[in-house]
Amino acid sequence: MNTRLSTKQAFLPPFTANSASQFSPGGCNMIEPTVEDKRITLEEAVKKVHDGAHIAWGGFGYQRPPEAFAMELIRQKKRNLRIYTCGSEHDLDILTGAEVCLEYEVAFFAIEALGLAPNLRRRIKEGKVKFEDYSNLAMALRFLGGALNVPFMPIRHMIGSDMLEKTQLRKDKAKVIDCPFTGNPVVLLPSVQADFGVICAQKADMQGNVQLYGIKGEDNEIVRGSKTTIVCAEEIISNEEIRRAPDLTAIPGLYVDYVVEVPFGSWPMQVYGLYDYDLPHLQMYMQMCKTEEGWQEYMNEWILDVGNHKGLLKKIGAKRLKELRADPEFGY
Amino acid sequence: MVEYTSTEMMAVCGAHAVKDGERVFAGTGLPVLGAMLAKVTHAPNAIIIYEGGNVDTQNKDLALSVADSRLGYRAAASIGLIETLGFLMMGGKVDVGFLGAAQIDEFGNINTSYIGDFDAPKVRLPGSGGGNDIASSAGRIILMFTHDARKFVKKLDYLTSPGHLSGPGSREKLGLIGGGPSLVVTDKCQMDFDPDSKRIRLKSVHPGVTVDWVKENVMFDLSIGKDVPITAEPTKHELEKLRGLDPQGIYLAKGQK
Repeated sequence: MNTRLSTKQAFLPPFTANSASQFSPGGCNMIEPTVEDKRITLEEAVKKVHDGAHIAWGGFGYQRPPEAFAMELIRQKKRNLRIYTCGSEHDLDILTGAEVCLEYEVAFFAIEALGLAPNLRRRIKEGKVKFEDYSNLAMALRFLGGALNVPFMPIRHMIGSDMLEKTQLRKDKAKVIDCPFTGNPVVLLPSVQADFGVICAQKADMQGNVQLYGIKGEDNEIVRGSKTTIVCAEEIISNEEIRRAPDLTAIPGLYVDYVVEVPFGSWPMQVYGLYDYDLPHLQMYMQMCKTEEGWQEYMNEWILDVGNHKGLLKKIGAKRLKELRADPEFGY
Repeated sequence: MVEYTSTEMMAVCGAHAVKDGERVFAGTGLPVLGAMLAKVTHAPNAIIIYEGGNVDTQNKDLALSVADSRLGYRAAASIGLIETLGFLMMGGKVDVGFLGAAQIDEFGNINTSYIGDFDAPKVRLPGSGGGNDIASSAGRIILMFTHDARKFVKKLDYLTSPGHLSGPGSREKLGLIGGGPSLVVTDKCQMDFDPDSKRIRLKSVHPGVTVDWVKENVMFDLSIGKDVPITAEPTKHELEKLRGLDPQGIYLAKGQK
């Protein structure tokens, strides 16, 4: 196992049956609590998403995007979704290509260093996609507002820009008011409490306690503010491992409804400490998706014909997956 | 004489704009190289921050994304967006931010969202990302992009991020705490902003570029002083350091000799 991801454990004495009796609830004469099992399969999790659902979408840039979840949404032919996120890339572009999601409240949509998102480009030309543009901080604050259960959040940004006035999806995109305390102008943003919040994590236990390593983007806020939360975990760890290092828990299980074990769930993007992005694949994607035919070919070959996530991993091959594994010293 | 590409020239100009000890917000692409070059040359105490959550980075490999795992290697902290764009940026704790642009106008207002009509755009660009947040609250902004007349427009197709808006006082009126754009670096020249009118003006032309060429390649009246200096060429030391940061030419391979 990756040493950076297990540094914390290395500081602690080995966990033995003997030491367990000192700390376990039983040792304090408490009644053993039930450990709820929230694990379901990727197929079951995606089945819960109804057509027309609003989803707060985790990951940031190339980091921890819910790729496997996106591919399963395509396989199950979901339609009319609306996605809320700061910035996502290949994951949103395949959803746009497959016309699973054509409505976005986002800050950023491109494949960063590799260029503009090719499927989005075509679907925009066809007039099929609608956007509500916000800034990254604005989206993160909208999730925070949802998590705090307040109707709006103030921000000092976006003012003076066209993002305030130009709208395609909402009547109530943002409002400028005079601050009741200072009298100065301030922008108010509507909070987001989406039907679903979907994030990827390095580790979770079956109760949904989540350990996130590396940057968090806006995932902490997404999980706390969504009505139903699904966590795709690269690895399921024991509740004991969670409780031995509670300071590593980014998200307590009480916010999480379902846990899905999905190794390489962010491929072809990266997960800090576990694996790197598959750059040749992404470059091939950019090349193929220049045309509609190329995209259809990509979708058939890499999403539909493989049948499920296991089939995809088989197609990528153990050798390639091993090459993508992170060097523990660097985290990529 | 040292040989260098137009892209290397841009990265070096960007680096020169960073002072030692400053807190620098960098986006992907050339700005990353500019900020990193500053840190390995004249500004070793610059603190580089990426919006994805990495703070005070010392990455050894070049990043393709502002959220790249590479930025986590030896960073002082890996946190999240509300930390970087909220507590640090909107909190007024960042000195300088680097941005790119698809269009700018004479007040340095920025479009990174749409080319053409908003309701039926020719091209949808990436959007704000953290750009609007950075342009709103960073102490000053350095803009970097390759020179093309169509990028220097009289009127933006879409205003994504505020420059000096409609001139002196307009940022203050809206409560924007950042100082706005201070420098534009292209592969042909550098521009800055008149402190009184807040309008863009020619600061220097790169070696081999004429003032007339620049004049013809902006779509508004560019303010030009009597003697426009020639931009200093990169030194051998700077070029060695710069090439060492991008040995595979991920960003540097793009320029012309």
